Amino acid sequence: MTLTRRLRAPALLTLAVTLALALLGVWASAQEVQLETRVFEIARQLRCPTCVSESVSDSSAPIAQQMREIIQDQLVQGRSEAEILAYFQTRYGDWILLDPPKRGIHLVAWLLPIIVGVVAVSVVVLLARRWLTNSRRPVEATPEELARVRSELGLDPTQVDEPRTGRTD
Amino acid sequence: MDLQLAPLGSAAAFLAFGLALYGAIAGMVGASRRDARLQTSARLSAVAGFIVATAALVVMQVALLTDDFSVSYVATTSRIASPTWVKVVTMWAALEGSILLWAWLLSAYTALLAVTAPLNPLRPWALSIMQWVQVFFFGVVAFIANPFELVPFPPLDGPGPNELLQNHWMMAVHPVLMYLGFVGLTVPFSYAMAALITRRPGTEWMTQTRSWTLTGWGFLSAAIIAGGWWSYEVLGWGGYWAWDPVENVSLMPWLTATALIHSVQVQERRRMLKPWNLILVITTFSLSILGTFLTRSGVVSSVHAFGAGPVGPAFLVFFLVVTLVSFGLLAIRWDDVRDRADLDSVVSREGSFLGVNILFVALTFAVLLGTLFPLLVEAISGDKVTIGAPFFDQVTLPLWMLVLLLMGIGPLLPWRRAEQQRLKHNLLWLGGGFLVAGGLAVLFGVHKVYPALTVALAGYNIVSLGLLLSGALVPRLRLARRPALQVIRSYAHESRRRVGSMITHFGVVVIALGVAFSAGYRVDQQVRVDFGESVEFEGYTLTAVDRYVERTPQRISAGVVIDVSRDGRLIHTMRPRLNQFGDRRAVPTPAVMYRPSHDLYLNLNSQVTPTTTFAVLRVVKSPLVTWIWIGGFILALGTLYSLSGSSRTVPARASVGVEARGEEGASA
Amino acid sequence: MRLQRLLIPLLVVGALGALLVFGLLRGAPDKDIESVYLGQSAPGFSMELYEPYHSEYGPTFDFAEYAGRPMVVNFWASWCLPCYQEAPVLQEYWRQYQDSGVLFVGIHTQNRDHHADGLTFLSQFGLSFPNGYDPSSEISIDWGLYGVPETFFVDADGRVILKHIGPVTPELMDQQLKAMLQ
Repeated sequence: MTLTRRLRAPALLTLAVTLALALLGVWASAQEVQLETRVFEIARQLRCPTCVSESVSDSSAPIAQQMREIIQDQLVQGRSEAEILAYFQTRYGDWILLDPPKRGIHLVAWLLPIIVGVVAVSVVVLLARRWLTNSRRPVEATPEELARVRSELGLDPTQVDEPRTGRTD
Repeated sequence: MDLQLAPLGSAAAFLAFGLALYGAIAGMVGASRRDARLQTSARLSAVAGFIVATAALVVMQVALLTDDFSVSYVATTSRIASPTWVKVVTMWAALEGSILLWAWLLSAYTALLAVTAPLNPLRPWALSIMQWVQVFFFGVVAFIANPFELVPFPPLDGPGPNELLQNHWMMAVHPVLMYLGFVGLTVPFSYAMAALITRRPGTEWMTQTRSWTLTGWGFLSAAIIAGGWWSYEVLGWGGYWAWDPVENVSLMPWLTATALIHSVQVQERRRMLKPWNLILVITTFSLSILGTFLTRSGVVSSVHAFGAGPVGPAFLVFFLVVTLVSFGLLAIRWDDVRDRADLDSVVSREGSFLGVNILFVALTFAVLLGTLFPLLVEAISGDKVTIGAPFFDQVTLPLWMLVLLLMGIGPLLPWRRAEQQRLKHNLLWLGGGFLVAGGLAVLFGVHKVYPALTVALAGYNIVSLGLLLSGALVPRLRLARRPALQVIRSYAHESRRRVGSMITHFGVVVIALGVAFSAGYRVDQQVRVDFGESVEFEGYTLTAVDRYVERTPQRISAGVVIDVSRDGRLIHTMRPRLNQFGDRRAVPTPAVMYRPSHDLYLNLNSQVTPTTTFAVLRVVKSPLVTWIWIGGFILALGTLYSLSGSSRTVPARASVGVEARGEEGASA
Repeated sequence: MRLQRLLIPLLVVGALGALLVFGLLRGAPDKDIESVYLGQSAPGFSMELYEPYHSEYGPTFDFAEYAGRPMVVNFWASWCLPCYQEAPVLQEYWRQYQDSGVLFVGIHTQNRDHHADGLTFLSQFGLSFPNGYDPSSEISIDWGLYGVPETFFVDADGRVILKHIGPVTPELMDQQLKAMLQ
């Protein structure tokens, strides 16, 4: 009786420690997956320096692999995404960023679509307004045209009608 | 007599050029003078041109297949050790050959047009324009980048095509599809020009070319999706679209062509937007030439580009000539083209097509801006900047969402004005579909914005398709006294355009879902695994079993064998490898495990030698990525179905004195 | 009236055409991106030297230790073909200029797990100026390398006066070394 009770405590302790370690391991590996995803997310915003227009996340070039390791190290150290991007920016210039900073001339790349979009939508809105009023205006036809229509329809060409609201179909 | 292939091919190219030039001029003179003989002569020259172009093609193929290195193109691009299929596709693996292929396809379309197009005032002018375009392409082949130049001291062997282009069977398919698309879209352009020249800017040019336009669009869509799949299987980063300049230039004409195929319906029904449709078709063709210029001139850097060559300036000049002449012509004829447009209500089919126009043109502008922006900045300030995927994604994603939104409501709206009750009814159902699908998505763990939104819009679109079908079928079923299946079949048979477009839109929804999830929930990792050891990834156990070496006449490959297990059960063995084609740099062949729910993608990132004990792998899990290819296939099917009906004239049981003009009446 | 309408497409196409002509004329992109360090202080580094240089320079090389001396910093890799072309050139100029105060230093980079291949390269060319190993490529990233070979010319004040991409040529070496020693 006492033997089992004496054995129970260390057994429980071992179990508890094992469980804790297992959980720690799971948690750590879950962290690692998350870390890896973050590495590629950041790498996706950097241009691979030795490649022809590939991002650091896409490229298999050795320098891209090593840049990803640097990103990982810095993430582990607790640096933020902005800090890591700035790290490469100070070494390579703005060119290394695939998503150029929203300042200076780069701003044009972001603003231009918006400006053009606004202009285009306004143009279309104005046109649409004009077309909407068009549909309410009667179709203009010269008397000759009206006479011809009437004769084609087999009606008396000389009879004058009231103008109708035109439907162009 | 020793028949040398090089001068034979050159002669064929020169002859094709001459025939095209003759046909172009004779066609124009014959058209303006209404001289039937000249016109017929021009048509004959189109057919003869095709025969001669085919001869040139055959000469090139023979040269490639017999390893005749006295032909310059073979000497610079082919290699004895390549397998036969690679030699066949080597014809379009490099710049000169690809232009020959394009010219040949152009001559084929022109000949087909000459033979099958119905006689009308537009035809001779349209043919002439097609032949002028041929004059350019054959001119480039014959004079600027002649693949048939004679090499006085032929080398014993060549370097072989670019290593990325001999790695995968898609090389045989994708470029051909792409050129079929571009050439197909030349036809509506030619007819549009003919319409402007003959001052008949009405619906004629559109109805004549409807099938051609849809065919060209279909090929271009297939080419873009095939290109994505090819990138996926070859480039090794587990993605399919990088907003690379070469990809963008193939996308832009597709965007304007999509706007065109929708916008022409407004002109057909309501005789509106005539000038706009002309602008769209000119822009589509111009963009395809611009794209060809950008990829063959070295102006933009890209993994896909053909590189710089003497061809660049020629394409630039052609692009400028085409745009100036066509827009100039439009400007001169503006008064003929301008129409009185009227809109009864914005909430109508016309209104939704206006929306389509706006969205797709906005997308085109965004892509064009992003592609040319680095060049623009460098021209202004000398700074070098890069515009990459993040810019394009952020700018275009909201627009894609709006496209999905419009795609659901548009077909449900009637022409002229939507009736209030019906509209409310439809909106309720659509809204319900949106909320239910979106809610389920969020419930099942989809918490990222765009994927969840895409699922919601997918539900919304499926409800829309259901409403369309029920709206069409229910009245028919109620009235008909035949079995239901027959009614449905005859509906599908009669309304091919409608049903085809439903299938195509459904394909788009499937693609959208595939893209949203494979981009939003992709998991990338780089792992290092020793031989004999395993590593865990997303529920899979990857065991590096061993290395292997493969030798074919074409290449030497070294790879690793990876066993993929789940829950202890071996489900797949994957063999990613690195290939060495001759002296060229090594290119990877990734291993892909296709599953409906997600793909497992392995790419080898380290050299494997007899003494290495480990492998570095890039492992990617992409959910739903296979749905993109399936969706593309559905899209192609829908397009084919639409096309299958359009060339038949449906005799209408109409009253006396009215000409038969069914919906599918105009033969194209 | 009609010609006015011509103006709009003319302007747009003209602007686009001008941009594209510029693109054609300026040649291949990406080839000549300036270093951010041009005219600025060079980033330092410290690395482990290869064994043959331990006796003269110690086990590690610290850039800061040699402040005040103009330096030629050359990045190479054993897999890089142009590096084989430039190695004899560098050795020759080192032989000529080693007593003039200029220090040549070579960094084997972008070649992880290939320490031994570096030794083979060095003995093949008999390079007598200090060479070290940068296994993680951190130094090359710090200096903003696009590829190998790249050579930086740093003046006595520690400022980068030139970054040369590609193998060095005798003409370049003559020009830069003379400028650095003035």
